[in-house]
Amino acid sequence: MSTTAAPREVSSPPPVPKVPAGGRTIRQRLNAFDMKVSPYLFISPFFILFLLVGLFPLAYTAYVSVHEWGLISGRQEYVGFDNYLNVLGQTNFAKATRNTFSIFLISSIPQVIAAIAIAAVLDQNIRARTFWRMGVLLPYVVAPVAVALIFSRLFADQSGMVNELLGLVGIDPIRWHAEVLPSHFAIATMVNFRWTGYNTLIFLAAMQAIPRDVYEAAIIDGAGRLRTFFSVTVPMLRPTLIFVIITATIGGLQIFDEPRMYDQLGQGGSDRQWLTLTMYLYELGWGPQKSFGQASAVAWILFLIIVVIGLVNFMITRRVATTGGKS
Amino acid sequence: MRTTRSRVMTVTAGMASLALFVAACGSNDGGDSSSAAGEGGGESSDEAVTLTVATFNEFGYEDLVTEYMELNPNITVELRKAATSNEARDNLNTRLAAGSGLADVEAIEVDWLPELTQYEGVFVDLSDPELEGRWLDWKEAQATTEDGQLVGYGTDIGPEAVCYRSDLFEAAGLPTDRDEVAELLGSTWDDYFAVGEEFIASSDVAWFDSAGAIYQGMINQVDNAYEETDGTPIPLAENTVARGVYDDVMAASVGQGLSANLAQWSEDWTNAFQTDGFATMLCPAWMLGVIEGNAAGVEGWDIADTFPGGGGNWGGSFLTVPTQGENLEESQKLAAWLTAPEQQIKAFVAKGTFPSQVEALDDPELLELTREFFNDAPAGQIMATRAEAVEVVPFKGPNYFAIQQLVSDAINRVDVDGTDDADDSWAKAENAFDELGLS
Amino acid sequence: MAIKTPPSIPVVEQTAGPRAARAAARRRGGNGYGAARRPRWVTYAILGTIVAISAYPIYYAVLLASSDAVTIAQNPVPGLLPQGNLFDNLGRVFAEVPFWQAFFNSLLVAVITSLSVVLFATLAGFSFSKLRFRGRGPLLVFVIATMAVPTQLGVVPLFILMAEFGWVGQLQAVIVPGLVTAFGVFWMTQYLEGALPYELVEAARVDGCSLLRTFWHVALPAARPAATMLALFTFVASWVNFFWPFIVLGPDNPTLPVALQLLQASFFKDMSLIMAGVVAATVPLIVLFFVAGRQLVSGIMQGAVKG
Repeated sequence: MSTTAAPREVSSPPPVPKVPAGGRTIRQRLNAFDMKVSPYLFISPFFILFLLVGLFPLAYTAYVSVHEWGLISGRQEYVGFDNYLNVLGQTNFAKATRNTFSIFLISSIPQVIAAIAIAAVLDQNIRARTFWRMGVLLPYVVAPVAVALIFSRLFADQSGMVNELLGLVGIDPIRWHAEVLPSHFAIATMVNFRWTGYNTLIFLAAMQAIPRDVYEAAIIDGAGRLRTFFSVTVPMLRPTLIFVIITATIGGLQIFDEPRMYDQLGQGGSDRQWLTLTMYLYELGWGPQKSFGQASAVAWILFLIIVVIGLVNFMITRRVATTGGKS
Repeated sequence: MRTTRSRVMTVTAGMASLALFVAACGSNDGGDSSSAAGEGGGESSDEAVTLTVATFNEFGYEDLVTEYMELNPNITVELRKAATSNEARDNLNTRLAAGSGLADVEAIEVDWLPELTQYEGVFVDLSDPELEGRWLDWKEAQATTEDGQLVGYGTDIGPEAVCYRSDLFEAAGLPTDRDEVAELLGSTWDDYFAVGEEFIASSDVAWFDSAGAIYQGMINQVDNAYEETDGTPIPLAENTVARGVYDDVMAASVGQGLSANLAQWSEDWTNAFQTDGFATMLCPAWMLGVIEGNAAGVEGWDIADTFPGGGGNWGGSFLTVPTQGENLEESQKLAAWLTAPEQQIKAFVAKGTFPSQVEALDDPELLELTREFFNDAPAGQIMATRAEAVEVVPFKGPNYFAIQQLVSDAINRVDVDGTDDADDSWAKAENAFDELGLS
Repeated sequence: MAIKTPPSIPVVEQTAGPRAARAAARRRGGNGYGAARRPRWVTYAILGTIVAISAYPIYYAVLLASSDAVTIAQNPVPGLLPQGNLFDNLGRVFAEVPFWQAFFNSLLVAVITSLSVVLFATLAGFSFSKLRFRGRGPLLVFVIATMAVPTQLGVVPLFILMAEFGWVGQLQAVIVPGLVTAFGVFWMTQYLEGALPYELVEAARVDGCSLLRTFWHVALPAARPAATMLALFTFVASWVNFFWPFIVLGPDNPTLPVALQLLQASFFKDMSLIMAGVVAATVPLIVLFFVAGRQLVSGIMQGAVKG
């Protein structure tokens, strides 16, 4: 490696220069002041705004959650953990938790698998690369609300296309809007539709970053394509896998747009078949109960759930990816 | 190169700030008219004033608003429409919580009116001796608070008749002429269900569209469905009246198989109009427009001048003036004008919202109105007769809406989703009631 | 004599047998093997199917939007070609619901938030990556940690705040919370770390620029590719955002997703109307996608590698 710094090579800022023996001119003083203070000035807009609208509300949620706080009536008395206990004991909370997890699992697992598979297909020397990649990404620019309206129609119980097509193959119509698991499946399909392409590109990038000589070695060793894929590619995708799963977790557990638009009442079905935790949060705060205290309690519980599940996923992914994808 | 770039950036930043500024001002026009347009307080009738009127669904106010502006050149009226009553309710609640953003005149439906009027000082007391006796007694009573304040001017009511498909009746061997049908259907719920059984014996089509709708028809004939007259909610577990109605509805819908198992306002329900989903439905006056829309192209709809249980009213709205606003006097005048008998009749002609004003009920224009879609039925006359037949005006307190929703869910679980049987579903509703934590 | 286990040292090779022939072919890179081999038509068929599945729902929306309520009710499976009512239905959408206003609102919010996020993120990214100051390390870790925080869960106090400011129902309530993102700062920091040599910064300082001018004339231009991508992503995210605008904006000042919800909630449930709304709300982003799709793709892929 040459000792002269190549144009691309980056160096980090030098150490802070010592004050010259003869003192400083005004210009030098201003300069030094600029160097000391400007960094803080530059990051302050971000931090100020973020603290104000990002972190402060989150902390304030905790404050609200320990009070009885009405939508219109405002803050009432301090009630300690009553809101939390109240919420945890409600049937709708249990259903919302069940639904959220179910939808999350049904969406994220197939999604990740499909994304890796499609990325593998794309990771070849195909023509019109950009066209295929853009084609795969297309659903990403459709708003989840719009996706939900379209798919809700496709999965309509009595006059939907999916049931019609199922009928052609001899399967009875499935009650997508009445039964629990079918509704989860339909909603998961919406999520998968929108995000699979995005995750595919992420995996594709990671695959392309795998040095080719690793593949060469595998080929020389006599490994077939499938074997190469599972023993070489997948383990090297581990960090990406972790990233994708964590982001899918954070997003998936908060899902609101799709289940909310799945029918026009927005309740999650008359038996709360597809009520998710965020929908439940909204209902507690702005629905008939108008209880901000309870809604905030749900917010914090959901936050804790996300953190816990995120960590769990992180650990599982590390284990699974290390042993090579499929044993 | 760099100079150009920094210029571009500066311009962009400048535009962004300008845009932000414009947004701040622009959104005032659509939103907060209270702080915007009026040059001057708007008390004097010569100053230019902008008023906003918020309605939902179809009130038929489009032409009326134009007319008012012609009559009062210094006043501009903007009409805001929410698509459904539920949405309007959500919006009102949110704006009340926010303390700003409500229109000068807000339409409220009777089912959730008490929910909002329970908060003191939120709506202006609209009592006006000049308007005494303008509305039906029971209509006015619905908007009068305990201490005698009139918080809303009545707009429409929803007298109910029975709409039916004469062609499907014919195919099943039943009479088709609307007077004969009215006689056939009788005046009790048992009569109505009995004819239903006869019908489905000779037809593949269901008798009525939705158990939920039948329930609405029945529960609106009960004095104190969910709450005592002082407002205390009756626990569902102890509510024998509601349970009784629920059981009757379940027996007819599921037991006798008369229901088409649809949830009103759902997609499947809308589509069923086009696919011969059901032969009859309870129709309040405002439903006529809905049927016309959903059943476009279908021939055979007609209206029978009868209602099981005697008479029934479903819905009806009021215009209120929130105290948040800045042009209270002008807003009150506008509301009074819009709810005058002449204006309400024009709205009825436009969108079918049946007047609640006493004078309007005798107006020949109303009584002679026919609707072509319904086989030229004298809709005005029928609805007027139905309005007079209303005997019971159910009490609706602040929790009516919430409790009604629970029972509605219970019905849907059985009738539409089929996930529970009637008893289990009611038990779930009782559970949900407890969890609501009403005082 | 065929050796049973494949060797892992290139020197010792199998010399006979069909497997040896295949392995030899692979090594040669010929016969359709090797890194440069073009995939068979099966690959293209699979890709074609995937893209068709990606595009069909959008096409389905167009099909329904150019139909009418009655036809839709009677035919669960739409025809293959659009019917021709598209412009009528679009016209009705814009008449029934304040769609133009929603469009303008969405545009305004998306533009402002993209510009703002990029500006503040680049500022902060420049500081974190190139400048030395006390607390730099911990603050950066803090930023990264907050990326995991779901800000969507702070809606209750955010609403109370907005009510306090009197912004409920106004666009500020949606714009201000979107002005900065932790992800943006992280993204720009990562990028500038690699793409902006300190020599350039130093050169500018030697020339007598203050840090602000250095930022303006050196850092921003260098950050352009990443800034463009960040702007694109923020734009898309802002455009499709629903939960918070749904809560805080009313039916009289909606953004496009909220307007779509208004359409759905209408009594008449005219599917062709709703789908026309869906089409109208989606077209702007599709246009953006065709104009800047390449950058979106490379943005995601670059971000994946750096992440």
